[in-house]
Amino acid sequence: MRKKTESSPEYTDILRFEHVSLAFGQFQILRDVTFSVAPGEFVVLLGENGAGKSTLLRLCNGLLKPDGGRVSVCGHDTQAVRTSRIARDVGFLFQNPDRQIFNKTIRAEIEFGMKLHGIPTRESYAEFRIPNFALDDDPFTLSRGERQRVALASVLACEPKLMLLDEPTVGLDDNEAKQLMDAVETRRRQDGAAVLLITHDMDIARAYADRRILLEKGEIRDADLLSWD
Amino acid sequence: MLTYYPGTSFLHKLDPTLKLFLALVLSASCFVVQAQWFVSAGLSRAWLLAVLGALLVLMLLLGAACGLFQWTLRSIWGLLKTCAILFLINALSVQTGAVLLQLTENWAVTWDGLYLGAALTLRITASAIPLALILRVTKPLQLANSLYKHLHLPFKYAFAFAIAMRFIPIFVEEMAEIMEAQAARGVEIDTRNIFKKIAMLLPLCVPLLLSSVRKIEVATISAELRGFGLR
Repeated sequence: MRKKTESSPEYTDILRFEHVSLAFGQFQILRDVTFSVAPGEFVVLLGENGAGKSTLLRLCNGLLKPDGGRVSVCGHDTQAVRTSRIARDVGFLFQNPDRQIFNKTIRAEIEFGMKLHGIPTRESYAEFRIPNFALDDDPFTLSRGERQRVALASVLACEPKLMLLDEPTVGLDDNEAKQLMDAVETRRRQDGAAVLLITHDMDIARAYADRRILLEKGEIRDADLLSWD
Repeated sequence: MLTYYPGTSFLHKLDPTLKLFLALVLSASCFVVQAQWFVSAGLSRAWLLAVLGALLVLMLLLGAACGLFQWTLRSIWGLLKTCAILFLINALSVQTGAVLLQLTENWAVTWDGLYLGAALTLRITASAIPLALILRVTKPLQLANSLYKHLHLPFKYAFAFAIAMRFIPIFVEEMAEIMEAQAARGVEIDTRNIFKKIAMLLPLCVPLLLSSVRKIEVATISAELRGFGLR
């Protein structure tokens, strides 16, 4: 059970973008982006490379702040709250697990975020077990797919209400990708956590997502597309 | 960052080896110049600070000539802030000279401490800027070729130097991504406490080191597979 040190505000949508815009110098990355994600919803963010998908994801947990408009996550305005506070409710899985992993053992890696967020650690983490490896093994001896699973385990262990996944299956084989996405889906069904996924893999998008958002040159296209039909 | 900034200024056009030589002379001069020279000439030792300050102004003018005024100004300011800790150590540890502020019975801030702290800060800042500026106005491979041609530096060393320079912005970008990843996990990288921040950043060097070693290994193999080392 998570130790609460600060109360969370009330909210209806777990994530809400209201007329958000962002520019890097002279380059306008996002223009008037408005959408919301409900608790428990699985939304996939689609678009060409350079459309602004990763930038949008970084706005969700305050790693970037919008130039205009408002981003609120779990009731917090990301402009007003620090990323380390938002991280209690929002898990972020990067494309490259090596950006995230730095501890000497798999256990230390899984428990790193738990300790920061005041979540009691456990003796066993059966749900995160990686075949042929023990919790006290060095994560850097694992394969790319296995390291990505450790990175996901460290995100899931923090019991996020919203999971942001930035192309997490890149470089994984079909089996590894399915295992990873199944673990995300299982957690979503168990805890009702919402998911915002960036992927170019349409099979994964169709298999797991409830809804899609198509981003094109920094603007949302087909915002009313609420199903795959 | 120390990436190449394209341009057509006289510094851009200057021979890379000559540029490097001039930068080294400027950097070395910051440490060679001594207060004693001015005192011997009947001037105040404050002239040392004035000369070092003038060197910084010269850097700014050179930066402006290359279209890098803002970058040079930001670099000077960044280095001065970084060296502030050295200034403080000097100001608080040097006990000779006239007392400016008596802290305890046996401990005071003296004019000598302030002077030496300011001189060290200016020396380090003024010596770092010329090399950084030269790297911004010279393509790494041009520099490598020039060192090979004029100084007969073995090509593999010149090439290694050029590649090392090429990797600096990549590592800076990678460190930024690693910090993002850790901030997203709840690490308080956004804390204003500098000591806390340093303690948090140190373990993050592990992923950077690992990815650096991997990149260098791949680059080495790639270069060798294309015949590197034949000339």
